[in-house]
Amino acid sequence: MIWHIATKEIYHHFMTLRFALMIILLPLLFVANALIYGLGDDGYAVQNNAYNRYVTQNDAHIKENANKSLAELALVGPGELPKRPSRLTFCAHGADEVIPRSVMMKSERSTSRTRGIPDEDYAWRHPFSLAYPLMSSYSKAPQRIKIDWVFIGMLMSFFAILFTFDAIAGERSRGTLSLIMSNTVSRGQVLLGKYLGAFLTLMVPLVIGILMNLLAILLTGSILFDSSDWLRILGMVGLFVLHVSVFIFLGLFFSSRVSNAITSLVWLLLTWVCLAFVFPSLLGTFVGNLKPIPSVDAVSMRKRVQLGQIDAEWREGPSPKLKKAPAIERPSVTRRWATYFTAISDTETQIADGHIDQQFRQVQLARDLTQISPLACFQYAMEGLANTGVVSYMNFVKQARRYRQTFTDFIKTEDRSDPESLHIYPVKEGLSQKPVTPAAVPRFTEHISHESVLVPVGLLILFNLLFFIVAQISFLKSDVK
Amino acid sequence: MHTLWLIIQREFVSNVLTSRFMIGFLVCLLATAVAVLVQVDDYEKRLTAYNTAVREAKAEAREWDLYAKIKPKAHRKPNPLGIFNVGTENLGANTVTVELAKPIFEFSSPIWMAPTQKRGSDNPFLSMFLTVDVVFIFKIVLSALAILFAYNTISGEREDGTLKLVLSNSIPRDTVLLGKYLGGMLSLFPIVVVSLIVALLMALSSPATAFDGNDMLHILLIFGVSLLYVSTWYLLGLLLSVWTKEAATTLILSMFIWVILTSVHSNVATFAVAKFSPHKPQSKKEVFQQTSQVWNDFRKERDAYLKKRGYDSPTKTVSWRRDAEGKKGGSAGTSSMADDWFVTESYHIGNIRYADVSVLQEFLGYQEPLRIAYADKAEAILKKPGEEQERNAKFADALARISFADVYHFAVGAIAGTDRQSYNDFIEGARTYKREIVEYLKDKKAFSSRAWFSTDQGKAALTDLPQYSEERYRRLSVSQSFSRAAVDILILLAWNIVLFMAAYVSFLRYELS
Repeated sequence: MIWHIATKEIYHHFMTLRFALMIILLPLLFVANALIYGLGDDGYAVQNNAYNRYVTQNDAHIKENANKSLAELALVGPGELPKRPSRLTFCAHGADEVIPRSVMMKSERSTSRTRGIPDEDYAWRHPFSLAYPLMSSYSKAPQRIKIDWVFIGMLMSFFAILFTFDAIAGERSRGTLSLIMSNTVSRGQVLLGKYLGAFLTLMVPLVIGILMNLLAILLTGSILFDSSDWLRILGMVGLFVLHVSVFIFLGLFFSSRVSNAITSLVWLLLTWVCLAFVFPSLLGTFVGNLKPIPSVDAVSMRKRVQLGQIDAEWREGPSPKLKKAPAIERPSVTRRWATYFTAISDTETQIADGHIDQQFRQVQLARDLTQISPLACFQYAMEGLANTGVVSYMNFVKQARRYRQTFTDFIKTEDRSDPESLHIYPVKEGLSQKPVTPAAVPRFTEHISHESVLVPVGLLILFNLLFFIVAQISFLKSDVK
Repeated sequence: MHTLWLIIQREFVSNVLTSRFMIGFLVCLLATAVAVLVQVDDYEKRLTAYNTAVREAKAEAREWDLYAKIKPKAHRKPNPLGIFNVGTENLGANTVTVELAKPIFEFSSPIWMAPTQKRGSDNPFLSMFLTVDVVFIFKIVLSALAILFAYNTISGEREDGTLKLVLSNSIPRDTVLLGKYLGGMLSLFPIVVVSLIVALLMALSSPATAFDGNDMLHILLIFGVSLLYVSTWYLLGLLLSVWTKEAATTLILSMFIWVILTSVHSNVATFAVAKFSPHKPQSKKEVFQQTSQVWNDFRKERDAYLKKRGYDSPTKTVSWRRDAEGKKGGSAGTSSMADDWFVTESYHIGNIRYADVSVLQEFLGYQEPLRIAYADKAEAILKKPGEEQERNAKFADALARISFADVYHFAVGAIAGTDRQSYNDFIEGARTYKREIVEYLKDKKAFSSRAWFSTDQGKAALTDLPQYSEERYRRLSVSQSFSRAAVDILILLAWNIVLFMAAYVSFLRYELS
């Protein structure tokens, strides 16, 4: 019986104007999405080339320094670590323009000492530290809404409303609802039938659109998918299903609740506007700015002051602690230099890590709270699957930090195996002067985790259940007339 | 006239008594209130950051004792109207440090030591959230309400059969249409007014905001444009209602047009332009190559001048008298900072008592204006990528203007002074300010004065140094704002007229059966 009602609903929907409009609009948008991402500037191919270039450069950098000596490698660091671009950016763009594409683990500064007594020409390099270069926040007109699948998903939820707002209220005002009810069909069956009807109708243009989208991408040859990408795309279709279904239940709820279709549409429309635009964004902005964090300028100012203090204490003050240059023959001096270098890198690390952690905490809190909107859940789950967005950058940073530890550990163990070395990290003179085999140096590999998908998907399922129950109860209790 | 009034009244009453009016009113009011709450908070933070920056800059200015060391700052003052339309308030640089030897420019990525910087709290990752302000809510919610009020004015009455009854009276059709339009607008009017007044009251309740008469006039203008915008949507609904036979069809059609015009069109247009930009700005590398060439030319020209005068470096122009013990008096040093886009040099003369610096002064009187001229040349090059991007953005705006929802947004941005143009004006204002300072220093003959590099014969007299004043560069009068938004307002007006005429003509030819 459910199926009977569903097919009747589907046939009815197929004849309507809204279906005609939707089946034009959705595939058009999907094709536009494929063309814009496939052929536009800064597409996947460009980003991937840049990524590969970085990887090769990095490799050359490590090889060059490893062949020089372990000490050299220990100081210059492993170089710039690029973040692998996602092939599925066209599905969920994330806030790509603010997400840096690499982090630096490279010693930039090379200082030579001009004042100081015995060794005027001693030149040294500060040991590397992990730095997070920021992408521009200077853009005058950043575009927050991108034409990706997430945006199309947002429209899908709007269409779900358009297909359900009169599902029950309309029949009620036409008087056909009492006719259906006079049959031996239970109310639950009617509701499910209506749900299935709307759901399958919405899936038709969606599936057509997605197929056209993927076909366009494959035909233009701009992005080549591997098997895991196909699985992720399949997962995204699943997300669309969950997301659309939430709004169908919502539509059915309002439709059974109110007496006429137009009131139900007003409620639905305004709810949709609030869920799509108003609440997530306002809440995000508000929560994000609750505890202001210092600006990039202020942080770099603080860093300069603290580094200046260390420098004053150790080398530039009236009685500098560093009077002689480090050398293999002078372990105690070298050890003192090691303390100086460690003080500098600790300060740098502490400030850089602390600042980016503050930023992450702000965003994380804002993100967590905005998940009260199913639209935001859908977006975050899509970003999680596509490995774009802020969370993917957080994971990347976490792994880069782990790699920093791996790299230093490697240097220290390698150094220990050289009997001639003083084993004083991180001074060049205190470390092994022998070259290392470049292949033995650990390389950075990014592990992509889709863990962040779990919570939003769980919430989406929860929303489905919740709205299903609410719609069911409200329909059971509603009057036929 | 009397019948028109009757129709308006009837339409008004029937609209106001519906649930959509109540719900729409409530949601619009609530959303506006929440948006204002968030934006006022944001504005207060901007203002605090601005005041701190100004205070710090003043304290810094008191320390200046050499002409070569001055670094006046231009601060972008937060715009109180940003509470209604945020626009570019939170974007871009808000402090420009005027350094004579440095070009003023912006780049798509932050540049170390660049004159344009952003102060205050800032977290780039938070820009993933849309900025929602009063105008955004009006743009989306009021348009939806206008359509929901208008969709069944004609087709609905036709379905109910009441249209026949109305027209069987001796009322001319244009009166009916006009009455319905005015009645609908009259019922939307309180929503707009109350929402705006609530927004205004909430904004005023914050101690940080102080709107003067000029601001109030601007808000009034925003109100007028908002009404015009609502009227456009109402007329569109009316026209669709005349064109379609059934109210349900009108509703679906207008909902589609609504979602396309408010959310789809401008985003697709802007995004497509961003990805297929017609004007390709030069890369950072190319630009910096050119500027470093400029500075090489500067060095060449300067060195040629020195050579002509018979010196091989600026510090060699200082001649020394022997001191009491018969030793050579002191030493002169240069410290220089340079990047691809600037070269600064400052001179220290140790033991200046024994130095004769008149040639150095004369030389600086030649070199520093030359450096400023070269900084201007570099600036012209550094400005170009930004100008290209601006051209792209203008093109995207032009495409977005097809949708009158975006026309409304642009109009309010121009009136509130929070659009891109106002931001560019700020940067341009900082450039003007720099020119003023250069003129001021030229008038004082500061470049060739001793206080350029040394305080031994008195500090630099900077008491009447021009101040960057916000009012001179940015705050516009209502008529200026109006003329800036004129194009957009005219487009809205044109849409109103066209839609009304179309509805009018269609209704005159309307077949009742």
